[in-house]
Amino acid sequence: MKLASNEFLQAASAALQEQDKAQRRTIIGQFLPLARDAAASAYGDFDGLRAHMKRVRRHTTAHLSHYLEQFEEAAVQHGNQVHFVANAEQLNSKVLSICQAHSARRVAKGKSMVTEETGLNELLLKAGLDVLETDLGEYIIQQAGETPSHIVGPALHKSLAEIRQLFLDKHKLGDRDLDTVSEVVEEARSVLREKFLAADVGIIGANALIAEHGTSMLVTNEGNGDLCANLPPVLIVCTTFERILPRAEDAMALQRLLVRSATGQPQTCYTSFYTGPRREDDVDGPLETHIILLDNKRSDILASDYSEMLDCIRCGACLNHCPIYIGVGGHAYGWVYPGPMGSVLTPLLNSLEQAHQLPNACTSCGRCAEVCPANIPLPDLLRDLRQDESVQQLKPARWRNGLRLHAWLLRHPALYQSLTGWAMSVLGLLGKRRGTFRRLPFAGSWTGQRDFPAPEGGGTFMRQYAARRRRGGKRG
Amino acid sequence: MLRADAGEVNVAESVRARLFARLREQEASSEPEQIARALAALGHAQPARAAHADMHTAFLANVLANKGTVELARDRGAAVQAIARYLYQRFRTHKLVAGNDPRLAAMPWRDGGVLPRFGAAENGDSAALSYARVGVAETGAIVTFTGRANPGRNNLLPEDHLVLINREDVVATLEDAWARIRRDTVASGWPRGIQFIAGPSSTADVEAQLVMGAHGPRRWHVILVGDTPAEALEQASEGIAGA
Repeated sequence: MKLASNEFLQAASAALQEQDKAQRRTIIGQFLPLARDAAASAYGDFDGLRAHMKRVRRHTTAHLSHYLEQFEEAAVQHGNQVHFVANAEQLNSKVLSICQAHSARRVAKGKSMVTEETGLNELLLKAGLDVLETDLGEYIIQQAGETPSHIVGPALHKSLAEIRQLFLDKHKLGDRDLDTVSEVVEEARSVLREKFLAADVGIIGANALIAEHGTSMLVTNEGNGDLCANLPPVLIVCTTFERILPRAEDAMALQRLLVRSATGQPQTCYTSFYTGPRREDDVDGPLETHIILLDNKRSDILASDYSEMLDCIRCGACLNHCPIYIGVGGHAYGWVYPGPMGSVLTPLLNSLEQAHQLPNACTSCGRCAEVCPANIPLPDLLRDLRQDESVQQLKPARWRNGLRLHAWLLRHPALYQSLTGWAMSVLGLLGKRRGTFRRLPFAGSWTGQRDFPAPEGGGTFMRQYAARRRRGGKRG
Repeated sequence: MLRADAGEVNVAESVRARLFARLREQEASSEPEQIARALAALGHAQPARAAHADMHTAFLANVLANKGTVELARDRGAAVQAIARYLYQRFRTHKLVAGNDPRLAAMPWRDGGVLPRFGAAENGDSAALSYARVGVAETGAIVTFTGRANPGRNNLLPEDHLVLINREDVVATLEDAWARIRRDTVASGWPRGIQFIAGPSSTADVEAQLVMGAHGPRRWHVILVGDTPAEALEQASEGIAGA
């Protein structure tokens, strides 16, 4: 997928003008956090569960080579072919060569953010393969030639009317109403069912890899990933090595966090553990299975100060709780992963130079860290990336000098206090008559939306605080 | 299997070797026994708060919350009658697909006028029946293994998925379920697929509206077999109505 993260500001401005889409995002921003909160409080000690998972992750990361080797050994013993690939090109060409070895023509895909990251579909289509996304949201955006706007609900930016028109154009099925959500889902079901049955290769992702059994866990509600994993004669699991967890019980703990944080369910309709190709006792299932483990800079991230980002379980809670994401939507972020997690991952998986606007798409409100099931300190990581941005001189000189001046001033409290005290008095005097300012120098965008209240008498916070202490007034 | 190209193998080998070298650089070396001890010391997660004090009531309540339907059957004879009624009401037929599970083969089908086809489900089949290995009260899920007794597609292709679960196979938590799975696979070997199912196939991808029957079954009907008092079902349903 083409990276366009440095056009964030322009894309965000454009997104803010689209009232209809903005309204749908507002609903997401209200409904999904409510569902998540209800599920977390019904669970009981959800924070305890988060802390437990963090301990399991720390342990696993500390012994990653051990668990990865254990996984590989078990997976090979079960008859899987395990492939390690370093980057997007290697993953894509590996998948293509497997498809070609089987003279495959039709590929059915379950939802996989990893293959979005590598741009797999583009390569397979170019090679003449018929590649079909089968998750309903992914199918809709594939038909529309768009990219996902949300990592859990990729097509949530589209209205029913848009999807209706898309299906009427793409599916030559004659006259029909198609004006309810049920009818749309029904039509996708019947179109895609034929494709599942005809597919030569199935491709899925993995929510976790379980070292002790060499199995991969797949979590879905639609069951599309399971159809991809059970019907075609060849199955390819595309995933990354840091999905490893030691035990099945650890995958269950992850699943408890993931599903509640994503949709508020206690468990998705399907939670499947796939071991390998068809066995003696099987009457269905793939005859050949491949597991492709992608690195794509993850080993660099692991060795960096951003290693906690690899704990991300792709639940989308940080998106649903982020005022910026809800405001501007996923497409403005210009790549596969949007929202707070995307603003950290996109620069790390590409380069800060190509995506340095994203860490600035943050109000530091902290809601993402509050709900992140993996307890990733997202606002801290975003701040550190902004620091890197400054150090690497990616910000305009005017900004850097301004920040340097500000930092210098903060380190000289006496000067800071007298300067702000002076500014406060001037503003108070100037604004005395109206009580507010309609415009202020250097704050045009702020006052463009609202008036700035003129400070009342009493001076800065520090001065008022000191005066109150002297009076021995109430604290707090 | 196609013979792999020698150059390709070398590239893959070196990617693997580089990754492992990179990981080991950052890890303190530990003996496998040490790692196993550290892992055991982490213990397991606390499960979700139980929906009901009675495990079977909790199971039924969670199946309902997952948009499934439930029924109680005293024994396998009553289960056959329940299945016959269900099939007639839904499809006006007694057609059914079931895996080659000895437990299913031994049921008194003729008493209910049901003649199952034993084997794998095909596209267009209206209903398939599975005999679950485990039921999980914590989440209202049932567990099946792929194999002759329950081909993977039987859970996925039919319009309706019917599931029998014995009372004694219901466990409290997801951890308990894995303990059972480990125990049950000692003799038979690890299956190709282990599926936890908690509801009919569903999607909310269009305008965030929940619709059943996305790709798989539109309905999911769970029959709890054994001596369960009728009040358990009443209480489970009340919990849902009040939610």
